[in-house]
Amino acid sequence: MGKYVLKRFGYMLAVLVILSFILFMIYSLVPANRAYNDASNEFKGMKNTLPAGRQQEYFDELYLKYQRMYGTDTDNKVVRYLRWIGLYPLYDGSYDGLLQGNLGYSYEYKKDVVDVVAQPMKNTIKINIFATILALGITIPLGIHCAVKRGSRTDQLVQVLTIIGYSLPTFLISILFIWVFCSKLHIFPPSGMKTPGSNYTGWKKFKDEMYYMALPLITMTFCSLGGMTRYVRASMIEALSMDCIRTARAKGLREKVVIYSHAWRNALIPIVTLVVGWFLGIFGGSIVLENIFAWNGMGRIMIQSLRVADYDLVLLMQMFYIGMSLLGTLVIDIVYGLVDPRVRVNK
Amino acid sequence: MSKKNGNSSKKGGWLSRLFHGGGNQLADELLGSEKDRAAAADVEAIVSPMRQVVNNFLERKLAVGALCLLIIMFIIMFVGPLFMPKYKDAYTEVTQQSMAPNMRLMSVPKELRNDIKMIDGYGSFSVGLSNAGKVYVWGSTQLGTTGVDIGEIPEEVQNAKIAMVAAGIDHIVAIGEDGRVYCWGANTLGQYGTEEEYLASGKKENPNIAFFPQELADNGVDVANIKKLTCGYQASAILMNDGTLYLWGNKLTYANMDLFLAAGNMYDIDFTLNYIVGLNKKRNSIYTGSRDLYTMVRGNLDSKAVKMSDYLDGRRIESLTATNTGVCLLLDDGSVCFSGDFSLNAVPVPELAADEDFVEIAGGSYHFSGLTNKGNVYSWGQNDLDQTEVPKNTAGTAKLYTGSFQTYAVDENDGLVAKWGLKGYLFGTDNRGADIFQRIINGGRMTMTVGAIAVIISSIIGILVGCISGYFGGKVDVLLMRVAEIFAAIPFLPFAMILSAVMGQMVLSETMRIVIIMCILGVLTWPGLARLVRGQVLLARESEYVMAAKSMGVKESVIAFKHILPNVMSVILVTLMLDFGTCMLTESSLSYLGFGVAYPRPTWGNMLNGANNETIINAYWWQWVFTSIFLAVTTICINIVGDALRDVLDPKASVEK
Repeated sequence: MGKYVLKRFGYMLAVLVILSFILFMIYSLVPANRAYNDASNEFKGMKNTLPAGRQQEYFDELYLKYQRMYGTDTDNKVVRYLRWIGLYPLYDGSYDGLLQGNLGYSYEYKKDVVDVVAQPMKNTIKINIFATILALGITIPLGIHCAVKRGSRTDQLVQVLTIIGYSLPTFLISILFIWVFCSKLHIFPPSGMKTPGSNYTGWKKFKDEMYYMALPLITMTFCSLGGMTRYVRASMIEALSMDCIRTARAKGLREKVVIYSHAWRNALIPIVTLVVGWFLGIFGGSIVLENIFAWNGMGRIMIQSLRVADYDLVLLMQMFYIGMSLLGTLVIDIVYGLVDPRVRVNK
Repeated sequence: MSKKNGNSSKKGGWLSRLFHGGGNQLADELLGSEKDRAAAADVEAIVSPMRQVVNNFLERKLAVGALCLLIIMFIIMFVGPLFMPKYKDAYTEVTQQSMAPNMRLMSVPKELRNDIKMIDGYGSFSVGLSNAGKVYVWGSTQLGTTGVDIGEIPEEVQNAKIAMVAAGIDHIVAIGEDGRVYCWGANTLGQYGTEEEYLASGKKENPNIAFFPQELADNGVDVANIKKLTCGYQASAILMNDGTLYLWGNKLTYANMDLFLAAGNMYDIDFTLNYIVGLNKKRNSIYTGSRDLYTMVRGNLDSKAVKMSDYLDGRRIESLTATNTGVCLLLDDGSVCFSGDFSLNAVPVPELAADEDFVEIAGGSYHFSGLTNKGNVYSWGQNDLDQTEVPKNTAGTAKLYTGSFQTYAVDENDGLVAKWGLKGYLFGTDNRGADIFQRIINGGRMTMTVGAIAVIISSIIGILVGCISGYFGGKVDVLLMRVAEIFAAIPFLPFAMILSAVMGQMVLSETMRIVIIMCILGVLTWPGLARLVRGQVLLARESEYVMAAKSMGVKESVIAFKHILPNVMSVILVTLMLDFGTCMLTESSLSYLGFGVAYPRPTWGNMLNGANNETIINAYWWQWVFTSIFLAVTTICINIVGDALRDVLDPKASVEK
């Protein structure tokens, strides 16, 4: 097992490196030149104090200085990539890349990328944890019920509803919910995170936050209902068709015991793996949802920085997303092995 | 055995079996009526697997319904655009923005139909006046988010006898027989009201408003001497027979309003979209107060422009009629000429017979209608919204009135002879003034095409990789599956957005961009299919027919693609169907966020782009409801059909997932 995990981990790193290289190459296609911008900004300030003949010369000097600072004084993209990672020295011989802890600098926010992302990530995690708990609380009982009463009216209805649920894109559900809950019923505020201008503390602050979080939360939960219910139902149906269930019934066990003790435990295996993978998605946030509800989370930061071409930030967030998704696959494999002894992961 | 029979014999079967064993029932079945036997034979007859699949599918009513709906959708989206030859992607119309669904833009009220004194219209509604002095308003009367319904005629107007009416973009001016001037509608930018009233209502002073003249408010106007009452975008003018001009409204829309406020002694006046155009008493040029504006004229919409003085050559201008972009001049010899901008596809004025002259010209937003001394009616100008499609039965026309995109022909007894032009918008208009219905049909084609091509790309890669990987196994398998895992690890939406954003920085044609978006969607979705195919191929590889083929010495590639692939095709088809839905959804999400197909090309995603805040979602519900319904119905149908197909083709799969 340990060997297997190690092997998978090493492989994951390799994929991460390959993807980071591809991503970096894609970014270098963007005609953005940070050194040039900085140099011309500084140059503008001192232009008038310089003699006319030496201006171009001085600018070139300045430009070179910034290029060396940012490591863009070469056209060799591989070298640039290695510098970004922190495996190749800059002009002055020092290393300053991801490995040295320099994750980048956001131009838009004039802050280190880490500082920019900190608060949105907290917000994203907050809403996602609630949404996950709610979604699981609804889908698991519903899925089990449908599987047990397979083919009944309720099951058929739920089947149709869940198809509709997962056929609708998130933004459409959001629009619909805003219309119903904000415009028609006036229950929730349409967007934002707290009452503008308010400065509540303690209980009142919590209440205000929950009030603003309600609608995005409901929408987010609703969006995951369709797929998850079907998944639970399918694994439960499969579990119910196992031989052990027939044996349990033959033994004369009560139906409740059969379902919740025998079948459910077997159905749990695929569900647990899915949920674990899902938890990692919590950090990523929902791009569409956070934008519509103006929820200051990871997804919103991502879109905003894309719109203003703040590529250091986007690049890092992208790497983060990829890392999360790779880690998710790994965790799913490991958890699968842990919960289901029949799956021999080290084979 | 038929189903009914089976049910009814269930209980009896149990009892009889208890006493007689199976024999009795068997005998029953064998000796049953002819009909029953025929039915039994029918079901028990061996049917081909394909036929079985079709039968099973047809049993699912919901899926059959969904399939029909889906086919109808496809036909509408791909045949529909053929019936919209006038549709243009980038069509915008400022006076028709955000109009609610309405097909009654041309519906003259019944009471007015035989008693028309005058009709006028500038934007989304028209106003009519009967000889009895009663005012009628029809069309799209809800004015945007202001909450004003211009169709609610003030009581004082209803009670008064009205002599003249005119409509602007969001206000109506009516003059009573007693000379009082009534206005109603939106009043945000000085469409009506004196300065006193304006300040009294608590608003701040606004230098960009020319207020309603105080003397008119105090003394009224001499109705008998009014030559013309006309309204522009948010401005109105009353021209008296002696040349006096009363003018008020929003100066920001009409840059030369100040000049007209100072000028007196006018012969004629009208509003284009951005300028006031006038005719002074000399009647040999258009007065705008600005140089180089409307100084060139042309004899027809498509002929070459020449200098005004050269063209007129001593003739005088009788009257002037403005559309949003141009002016039509009726000369004293009965001919017409034009000044201003006219689009390339505008319908030109027809050639008149030698002794036929125009006597009256009426102008809409982009078209003119003219009446000749022989009683013939012609329409020309832009025909995007059927403005120039004159019907045949216009005989007896004595007067012409125009709304923004409509023309009403009225006979001598003030009865309506004919009307033509824009009936309305079935699904309303978007925030650029384009017809949402037309954009939905054309956008549907784009959405479906993008989805379909993306799926084709992904399936080609997926099937190829899956087959090779599954069949050859070993190192090839490991390598290909690792590559698939790399692609599967890329978070879809963020990555597609980044690629799209990076592309946005480069100079690419719109078509190229769409092709690249299809490729992005396709390239990012293939790993799932590849894994599925690989799994199926792995299963099939161990089967006996492959063994047989191998032992006969068939080439490996032939086995992989000719023997195994057809056998796993059913599973692939189902996945393709479901992937098609997913790709459409992804494209819509991307376009909705502004990273997919960009305006002016319509797709269902980017048409919903505007619905991103509560105000619009609530006030302009038609801008998202209809598009959403189309998108939702299509994807739901695809998923229902795909789901049913999966169950039908592979009963075990429905259990597994």
